[in-house]
Amino acid sequence: MEAIVTRPAVSCCRRAVAAPGTAAPSRLLLLTTSTALPSGTRQKSTSARTRRALNIPPHPSFLDLPTTGAGKPAADGTTPARPTTDQIIFNPPSSAPSVLHTPFKFLPKSDPRRRANLASSLLAASTTLQYPSNPPTEASAAAAAAVDALPVVNPAMPTPRHHLSMADIEEMRALRAADPATHSVQALSKRFQCSKLFVLMCCQAPQEHRDKIAAEADKVKARWGPRRRQAREERGRRFEMLYRGEL
Amino acid sequence: MKRLRLDRFSGQLLVARPGQCPASTPRSALRSSAVSRCTAVRHQSSQAAYQIPQDDDYYDGTDHVRFPPLEKLPPRATSLPSPPPERALQSAKLAALKARLSLPEKLPLQTLARALVDASADENAQFNNTSLAFVGQSLINYHVAEWLMCRYPRLPMEILYAAMKGYAGPTSLHQVARSWGVEHAAAPGGEVDPGLLQFSLHKPAKAIIGFGSKRAEAHGMKKYKWRHSVSNRVVFDDDFGEVIDPEAHKTELLARADTEYGNEYTRSLAEQAYATCARAVVGALYAHAGREPAKAFVKAHILSRTLDLSRLFSFKKPTRELSMLCAREDFEPPVARLLSETGRLSRTPVFVVGIFSGADKLGEAAAPSLEHARAKASMNALKSWYLYSPGENVRVPSDVLGAEDDRPWEPAYIDMGEIVGR
Repeated sequence: MEAIVTRPAVSCCRRAVAAPGTAAPSRLLLLTTSTALPSGTRQKSTSARTRRALNIPPHPSFLDLPTTGAGKPAADGTTPARPTTDQIIFNPPSSAPSVLHTPFKFLPKSDPRRRANLASSLLAASTTLQYPSNPPTEASAAAAAAVDALPVVNPAMPTPRHHLSMADIEEMRALRAADPATHSVQALSKRFQCSKLFVLMCCQAPQEHRDKIAAEADKVKARWGPRRRQAREERGRRFEMLYRGEL
Repeated sequence: MKRLRLDRFSGQLLVARPGQCPASTPRSALRSSAVSRCTAVRHQSSQAAYQIPQDDDYYDGTDHVRFPPLEKLPPRATSLPSPPPERALQSAKLAALKARLSLPEKLPLQTLARALVDASADENAQFNNTSLAFVGQSLINYHVAEWLMCRYPRLPMEILYAAMKGYAGPTSLHQVARSWGVEHAAAPGGEVDPGLLQFSLHKPAKAIIGFGSKRAEAHGMKKYKWRHSVSNRVVFDDDFGEVIDPEAHKTELLARADTEYGNEYTRSLAEQAYATCARAVVGALYAHAGREPAKAFVKAHILSRTLDLSRLFSFKKPTRELSMLCAREDFEPPVARLLSETGRLSRTPVFVVGIFSGADKLGEAAAPSLEHARAKASMNALKSWYLYSPGENVRVPSDVLGAEDDRPWEPAYIDMGEIVGR
């Protein structure tokens, strides 16, 4: 990107993007960066160029050491490239909050930390206690709005409506028992306006239908090659490891 | 090829095989000279010459002239299964152990010596440490259990059992006893220094298997895999929720008895003996010094150890468990939201997912896929629910019994129970 923006042809593109306009300039930028690279741009085509490109100076935080350390000009005005004294550089990565910090919502009613929830200093200091649920203030409303703006990973299941009566469930069971191929779980869930999980909770297909489905699945699995089989097995094993806390 | 020059070999080798030793070599005189040197030392000492027991019934073939005992033993000491109690006062190792552990003067050395004799070494219950170890394990398990329940009131029962085992189980008590500097004798016997831990690998059937209540149906449970619920384990089994099956232990011991040293089996026997010894020391302290010193000892040596409780957990369906928790506690249903991400289309993406209930963040985790991150964040949220703690210096019921703390007792926080049945 560095190499691209220094070129005059692309800098005019950048200007076009910077100007307030329609979607066309941004498409132009996309074209420029991805496909229509100028032929004169130097790529990392050789190992020497790759090495040179990867040879980046250390992060300033490693060089910015107090007094006689590196990064500070020495007596003769030169800046040493690395620390000259025995110092421990502590530059930890950002990490997930500890599970030992109980979220505010999980504190029991009798806990003094909940009773003292007006002590906002405690809440501000903690990484996990940033969203006090009560009392509802303007700040908490703003926090709730901020949370709602975050993208949802899995769309939450709709809240159950409880609209089906016992007669409906009996009908569903009769349909499923009569012709499980036509009245599949998906078809029934559409017809009765309920979730597939609810259909599965209500009725069970006859044994021969389940055997047939299992046989079809086995036939498909028999056609898998070793790679696909191994990949699936490893995926399952990774989840087991995750649930045991090993990942 | 050079000729072997036997006379240049060390004398020890030649003496070790006297039948093979050529009498004509000049070094062959070493043995007799060694004997004469040894006896000369004896004669010059101020003490009377040691009377070698000439009892033919108990003579074990030791050459007492060549290997004189290090100290004067009472008569028939070698015939006893464990050292006689009066020898405890002369043992330097025992005194050093007592000083190292800062045990009070009230605890006599004889009792400390008895705590070092395992039931496999001496079957007589008046001389081995079984009774002391029973008292000790009751005390240790009581203190560990009350501390865990007050400190982490929401731990599920299985995790509580695992934590109990982590603090007071045989493996950790073995490490505790080793850290005290307790050493073991190669074989038990009356002539052994009383400061050494004594247990037998050859007749381990007399050793303690465990403390707890045995089930009548233990055989059927193993054969037919009968259900063995957690609440059932509270009543039966040992303090770590594990079934005690003496028959299985016995057959295993018989099958593997008298194997060579240094295998997994002998190590496990040593581990048991060390753990029993650590319990017996606590029991002896309680018997002679009382409740408070025993409690302080348990706190200093067992509860002071670090155990990461958050690593004991394993889940089956964390997302469902968390929704059940939120439904039970009347929180808003949990929603997984993407806090940040990088490299979604790359080989090594990172997704940071938070679990929110309403506007409150319950847990957060980073993982290379969205599903993993969501599951991990749910697990973290559940862990932070289960690992709630009222405080670091939480009071336990036995604090009220202490004389120095006369504040009235406030009831400890009791959780309503587990979220899912296991």
